[in-house]
Amino acid sequence: MARLTRQMRQGGGPFAPSVSKPSAFQQYKTLLAKDLRQEFRTREMLTSMGIYALLVIIVYGAALALTANGLDIMRMGGGLLWVLIVFTSLLGLGRSFAHEKEQGCMEGIMLVPLDRSVIFLAKATANILFLLAVEIIAVPLFYFFFMSGEPVAPTFPAIVAPLLLGTVGMAGIGTMLSTITMNTRAKDVMLAVLFIPLIYPLLYACVTATTVAITGTEFWIDFFVMPLVLACGYDVVMLLVCWVLYDFVVSA
Amino acid sequence: MNPILADIYSTVIPSALFVIAAYVLVWAVLLIYVIKVVRGLKKTEEQIAVLEEAVRASRPPQG
Amino acid sequence: MSKGKARVPEAGQWPDRLAIPALAAGTVLTSAAFLLAFLYAAPVNGAALDAPELVGGVMVTHQQLISQKIFYFHMPVAIVSFAALAFAAYYGIRYLSTREARFDTCSRVAMEISLLFVVFTMVTGDLWTRFEWGVWWTWEPRLTTYLILMLIVIAYFVMRNAVDDPERRAVFASVISIIALVDVPICFMITRLIPSSVHPVITREGGMAPDMALTVVVALVGMMLVAFGLYRLRFREARLEERVQALKEQLDG
Repeated sequence: MARLTRQMRQGGGPFAPSVSKPSAFQQYKTLLAKDLRQEFRTREMLTSMGIYALLVIIVYGAALALTANGLDIMRMGGGLLWVLIVFTSLLGLGRSFAHEKEQGCMEGIMLVPLDRSVIFLAKATANILFLLAVEIIAVPLFYFFFMSGEPVAPTFPAIVAPLLLGTVGMAGIGTMLSTITMNTRAKDVMLAVLFIPLIYPLLYACVTATTVAITGTEFWIDFFVMPLVLACGYDVVMLLVCWVLYDFVVSA
Repeated sequence: MNPILADIYSTVIPSALFVIAAYVLVWAVLLIYVIKVVRGLKKTEEQIAVLEEAVRASRPPQG
Repeated sequence: MSKGKARVPEAGQWPDRLAIPALAAGTVLTSAAFLLAFLYAAPVNGAALDAPELVGGVMVTHQQLISQKIFYFHMPVAIVSFAALAFAAYYGIRYLSTREARFDTCSRVAMEISLLFVVFTMVTGDLWTRFEWGVWWTWEPRLTTYLILMLIVIAYFVMRNAVDDPERRAVFASVISIIALVDVPICFMITRLIPSSVHPVITREGGMAPDMALTVVVALVGMMLVAFGLYRLRFREARLEERVQALKEQLDG
């Protein structure tokens, strides 16, 4: 009774909620926590992506059967690693909204008066984290299977940088494209058809940087720093464009 | 012919094939596109004629 | 159309009166560029000769190539296809801000023109590469960027087919066209700035002589006019189809 009178005195009416509207950052944290908590409970995305990565590596085993020369694999290693990451991320991104669609969450989220781009940020962050988790598994696996023959260059730990930048870009644009293709026919093919051409410049830059990190080179600025700067530029521009356009897409 | 002159123009005949092929293909694709558009226009005009018939038939006779 | 709404592009308006003269002018100009390319622009130097030779009063020290003549059409069509993409994205932005379905039609037609000119670019570029470098494909920045552009435009049309609801389709198409417009220059820059053995940067045409520049400019203006004429023609057809569809629905309903 006292609470009701207090609320009425605050002017919100007898049944007005007594909390203020959460800030955008809090909304973002809530959405992100929802995705992460769901993943921790079911682990379905991580397991499926992890097993898929392992299977791709096994296909590589067959594909590289005749490459006896260790240096070839070292030079191709960067590219092969990124092929692995692209296809695994296609799998993960295609399923990023599956739960929302199946359980009807999307309608619920749309009812909340929030800036729709927050949904984009939360989902993109969740995808980045999942993808990074898969990479943490996939890169050592890749090293174990293919690269223990020859010693890697001392710059090997530097592959963290292109992996990070590439993952951020791919998750950002992949989340936007996943939202677009969520309701179309043949959505996985549609996602791949849109995703791969748009991601090509980022992929190219990251593969270059990864390859020189693995094999070592004397033109460090040309082949490592410049691609990373360009990849960073790509990430910033694309994430900005997707941020601005997301509202239109998710409300359609 | 002077062998050096022959050398100067040695790439002309082999490349002529590709140059001609390039231009011919471009004009061919352009022609195909224009034909496609004009056929679409004709088809739409026929459909308009059919629709006009239908409108005339569906309107009850005046007077 | 109520007076309060913003002006919306329609077929049969004043640009159509310009379309036929534009097509004619474009044809004239491109033919002129064709003739200029072969008769006026100097042939490009190829491999060095063993000994210099006097030809027509000029000391010639290299093989003369005519395969480079393809370039005079290759670059203009590439520029026109990118310009068409820019128009498609512009109409996409206008659709998103006004939700007028007419802008979606404009965007779609512009994308078709872009696809047409990208096909031209790929054909000419590929044949040029085949002769110059002896391979059917080389992952050089320009060809790769245009392959990516072609794939994006094809993806645009595949996506348009996959969505049934017209308003949703229009929103998604506009978004894709804007993303594509942003992505293509980045792709070009990245493949150009990162050195690689697989992606040779072909800079033979960097630093153009005035006669080459004139031919390219004439061809470019001609191609732009042709593209404009084609756009109006296709737009007219698209509008006609839409009006017939609307009439059919009115008759049935």
